[in-house]
Amino acid sequence: MSDKETKPGKTKVIRFALLLSVVCSLIITASAVGLKELQEANMALDKRVNILKAVGLIKNKKPSKKDINALYEAHIKEAMVDSQGKVIETYAPDSLNLYFYQDQGRIKGYILPINTRGLWGKIQGYLAFENDGQTVSGFSVFSHSETPGLGGEIESAWFQKNFKGKKILNSQDKFVSVGIAKGKAENLPKDLQSHYVDGISGATLTGKYLSEGIKETLMKYDSVSISFRQKGLKPQ
Amino acid sequence: MTEEKINYIDIVTKGIWRENPVAYQVLGICSSLAVTVKMSTAIVMGIALTVVTACSSMLISSMRKVIPSNIRIIAELAIIASLVIATDQILKAFFYDISKQLSIFVGLIITNCIVMGRAEAFALANKPLDSFFDGIGNGLGYTLILVIVAFMRELLGSGKFFGLTVIPQFVFDAGYQNMGLMVLAPGAFFIIGLLVWLKNSLPGISKEER
Repeated sequence: MSDKETKPGKTKVIRFALLLSVVCSLIITASAVGLKELQEANMALDKRVNILKAVGLIKNKKPSKKDINALYEAHIKEAMVDSQGKVIETYAPDSLNLYFYQDQGRIKGYILPINTRGLWGKIQGYLAFENDGQTVSGFSVFSHSETPGLGGEIESAWFQKNFKGKKILNSQDKFVSVGIAKGKAENLPKDLQSHYVDGISGATLTGKYLSEGIKETLMKYDSVSISFRQKGLKPQ
Repeated sequence: MTEEKINYIDIVTKGIWRENPVAYQVLGICSSLAVTVKMSTAIVMGIALTVVTACSSMLISSMRKVIPSNIRIIAELAIIASLVIATDQILKAFFYDISKQLSIFVGLIITNCIVMGRAEAFALANKPLDSFFDGIGNGLGYTLILVIVAFMRELLGSGKFFGLTVIPQFVFDAGYQNMGLMVLAPGAFFIIGLLVWLKNSLPGISKEER
């Protein structure tokens, strides 16, 4: 039987398949579990970098690990607020996380975490505001899975720097959020220009999802922005 | 020894030009559309794919005698995917900045048909070292096409070269406009099509192959 000689036996095939899957899964599990601590430390540091980037304390060059932690501890304070926008100390189910940007004991602004869907996966980043409760002071992204060169441009400096100075309120003090324009923001009508940043060509959907996500987050944190507009929120 | 060296050089040049994966074998088109909007992403993708193809071809070639032929494709895929994911995990732990730049490419690399194509067409029938150089050659050939396409797209689509504006303002003032089509995927199709045509009308491959 020539057929049997050329084709390997069924048990042999199954044995090989089992062995290969066990070896492959062991390699992946070992690398994922064994390196988890290092990876998590890197991710935590990267989050700090992006919070600092959003408020403009890190420009282009990335400082050393020690400088990052020192900057972060000196200027950023993590906090929770309840649904009325008051700072609370203990955890409550409807509380919201945010960060305060402090300079010499004075609150210069606040930073909201953005967590939204993108075209291919989650987009996570930070949106920072000045202490007037309506002017955006910066935007940064620490995790996304958009296509490099297209939607992936959301992490590039030219895209992020356009957020600075945009307003979430219109001239009648009504909430309109900030969004990503389709094409250049300068082509929009005058009264919309202060609420839109330049879009990324070839990445309309990424822009659409990110705009929606920002709007949703801002609505959720509306009480925080309002209390900032009224009197300025104190972290203590 | 020298004969072997010549053989390796031959394998590499074959991958870069004569049997270029994109222009001749028409493999890896999908990712060449996605990452060629800018020069920088094209180069990162090219280098990453070269490394992956070379390593996975070598690994699969060294196992070619034990892989049963009727499940070889799934076995190849398992090996390639594990290799890429494990490498990504290691990069994430020790070279976080590099990994952040690369991790969005990981999905594009595993599904790139050049990796599978070379494993099927070359690594299963050749020695590990030959397969390694075949991977290098094909990866570089892919990079070459990617860089040419990205150069044209970035220049015509956004008037830039490596992110620097190279088309002066007075040209725009005189009425020149960036070609919006080049930023979108169809623009890459046109350029790749023209490149395939150019490559196959140049000398360097025999009549029968044409």
